[in-house]
Amino acid sequence: MAEVKSAEFKKASGRALRDEKLQHALEHVMEHFVGARANIIESDFGDESWESMRTRAAAIKQSTLEHLDYYLDMVDKSVRRNGGHVYFADDAAQANAIVLDIAKRNGVKTVIKSKSMVSEEMGVNHILEREGIEPVETDLGEYIIQLAGETPFHIIAPAMHKTRQEVSSLFQEWLKTAPTQDIKRLCVYARDALREKFAAADMGISGANFVVAETGTVCLVTNEGNGRMTTSAPRIHVVLAGMEKIVPAIEDLALFLRLLPRSATGQRITSYNTFVGGPRAPSDEDGPEEFHLVFVDNGRLNLLRDEVMREALRCIRCGACLNHCPVYQKIGGHAYGWVYSGPIGAVVTPPMTNMKVARDLPYASTLCGTCKDVCPVKIDIPRLLLHLRHKVAEGALGERSTTWMERLFVGQWHGAMRNRRALEGKANLGRLLTRPFARGGKVRKLPFAPMVSGWTASRDFPAPAPKSFARLWREELAQDNVHPNGMEQR
Amino acid sequence: MAPTPEEHPNKAAFLLRVRSALGRTEPIVHMPDHPSLKSNAMRQQEKVRTIVARNEARRSPTLDRLARTAAAASWNVRRAGDAEEAASIVAEIAQQSGVKNLVRSAEDVFKRVNIDTALRSVGVSPAILASGRSRSRGALRDMAFRADMGVTGVSYAIAETASCAVIPRKGVARLASLAPPRLILLIEPEQVLETLDDFFAVTRLNRMQARGRATNYFNFISGPSRTADIEQTLTIGVHGPGEVHMVILG
Ligand code: SF4
Repeated sequence: MAEVKSAEFKKASGRALRDEKLQHALEHVMEHFVGARANIIESDFGDESWESMRTRAAAIKQSTLEHLDYYLDMVDKSVRRNGGHVYFADDAAQANAIVLDIAKRNGVKTVIKSKSMVSEEMGVNHILEREGIEPVETDLGEYIIQLAGETPFHIIAPAMHKTRQEVSSLFQEWLKTAPTQDIKRLCVYARDALREKFAAADMGISGANFVVAETGTVCLVTNEGNGRMTTSAPRIHVVLAGMEKIVPAIEDLALFLRLLPRSATGQRITSYNTFVGGPRAPSDEDGPEEFHLVFVDNGRLNLLRDEVMREALRCIRCGACLNHCPVYQKIGGHAYGWVYSGPIGAVVTPPMTNMKVARDLPYASTLCGTCKDVCPVKIDIPRLLLHLRHKVAEGALGERSTTWMERLFVGQWHGAMRNRRALEGKANLGRLLTRPFARGGKVRKLPFAPMVSGWTASRDFPAPAPKSFARLWREELAQDNVHPNGMEQR
Repeated sequence: MAPTPEEHPNKAAFLLRVRSALGRTEPIVHMPDHPSLKSNAMRQQEKVRTIVARNEARRSPTLDRLARTAAAASWNVRRAGDAEEAASIVAEIAQQSGVKNLVRSAEDVFKRVNIDTALRSVGVSPAILASGRSRSRGALRDMAFRADMGVTGVSYAIAETASCAVIPRKGVARLASLAPPRLILLIEPEQVLETLDDFFAVTRLNRMQARGRATNYFNFISGPSRTADIEQTLTIGVHGPGEVHMVILG
């Protein structure tokens, strides 16, 4: 499985914040995605029908999850009826072994890959390389990060953090092409290099955006045409799919194909949709002779088991929650430390990988709720994050995770909030203590008490007002000759 | 027909774990309540009959809508009054693009729209991209990759999204509409449907009626191959055709 580096979250996000080039790229891209999505939804549907589409989609996905064993069985039967093979892998290691076995049995030397997040989870490229098989990513963004040896920065725009100069020097190094600032030229270089691979590859690996239970149809959504190439040129096609990718009926695709591209890139539809459910027919002119569908669990059971977290599996990986997230917009994708980033990454990474290692991720949110509002399948991400925070704080990880200082503070807080006089007394004390450190209305550094100074280490604290609200209230009312209980005095 | 592949040895244990994660001990026997799953062949046929009737009644506005959404999705749209005009439009596009190696599929539409004659009159000789007796898999692939323009028909076109559903089969290679950098698709009026819902309802019925001999593969082509993966700058023509033409008869 791909290494989980989420324990580095705080350090990595600090690094991202100081990276000016990255900040520029993030701003630019996010603005573009957010604007394009809003425009197409408004021009095609309007808020009301968009809302009812989201409600329907959420209900379909949730019901599919509640009956997942039934639908997995249905897909299995459908695909095998179509002449394809179906596999069930508990974890990344099993899934990798299945892929490797198919490759070795067929003497495969080159594998072309169309974008698949599950394959990122599995780290399958590594495993293939170790066995002398060359994996080649064919989505342009994925190809760039493969050459750079990185992980995707964004679910749907994996290389958005790379500048044209960086891409040019990567191509110079790996493809021996001439340096250029022309993006069109860079695309042509990649196209030509990949054409050779398409012609040479014996096996194609793709992900799955949707898997239709009743027909066994895998639906792929792409813009470049690499998904079509991967399912057309090689002799063998392997699909890697998270087990939650199922929709029950082929007619459900109409709804999901309306929601996904608009949410993702603000397109009415992507340039290509490929629908494949088995090997080519003998009378077909071309196409793979073998079709293999691998369902992967790899930690998804932990989400399914928890009735609160289960809805996270409705995710169709559109990326809208990333694009709209004030935290992602500042720190980008790499800080999250694994395959999935942004709000949904913060939700799924801890249960899917390791709660301890990824314990900071549920806190990587302001809980502003925008992610929930834009999610095409209405996942209540803030609620799920709170649920995870609760688990972290309760010590569900086998340890008390709060400090004694925090507990003391919360205890005091609890007391104060139950008693007005006590609250005012504490507030006055706080005002007195912090006033000497305030400059220009902000407290930039609080020196005493380790916990409090930690709070101001990465952000400013607004300086307390000279007079408390309660006091102002009393004074104003006295002037207006109004009794504090709201009744005008006569 | 090839035998049905075997069940994976881990399937039973996998499903058991899923089931117990959901808090159940027994498998579900009755199909969960899902309307679009439950409709049987007869009801589906009824549904499709209504869809077809509606599409026939609204043909002309639907063709206009297709032309509009297609133009918005960067298709070059041309409308032809009849088959002859359609053939000469194809020839005109090929000539303007300076095409040398043109491949086409072998479909019924070319019996009605004689593009071969029209193309030859402008000095382009079209080749049919099909394996036939003499062509191996590799040879077909080479031919597709060498071509600078592909021309094929469609099975359906969807006005809502300007999506052309292309179903590969005998005479229609997958690569014909994918490998060449320029593509022309010929669309006949009866092939046009209003919405994605219409298309999937029809597809479901077709599968039910094909009784296990249904096609395992089809594509939507909804515009030129594109990417914005470098600096969010839209670039046309990556792995698929960057120049796409839609010729609508009617
Ligand atoms: S959680 Fe919702 S918004 Fe985020 S990627 Fe998944 S489907 Fe899209």
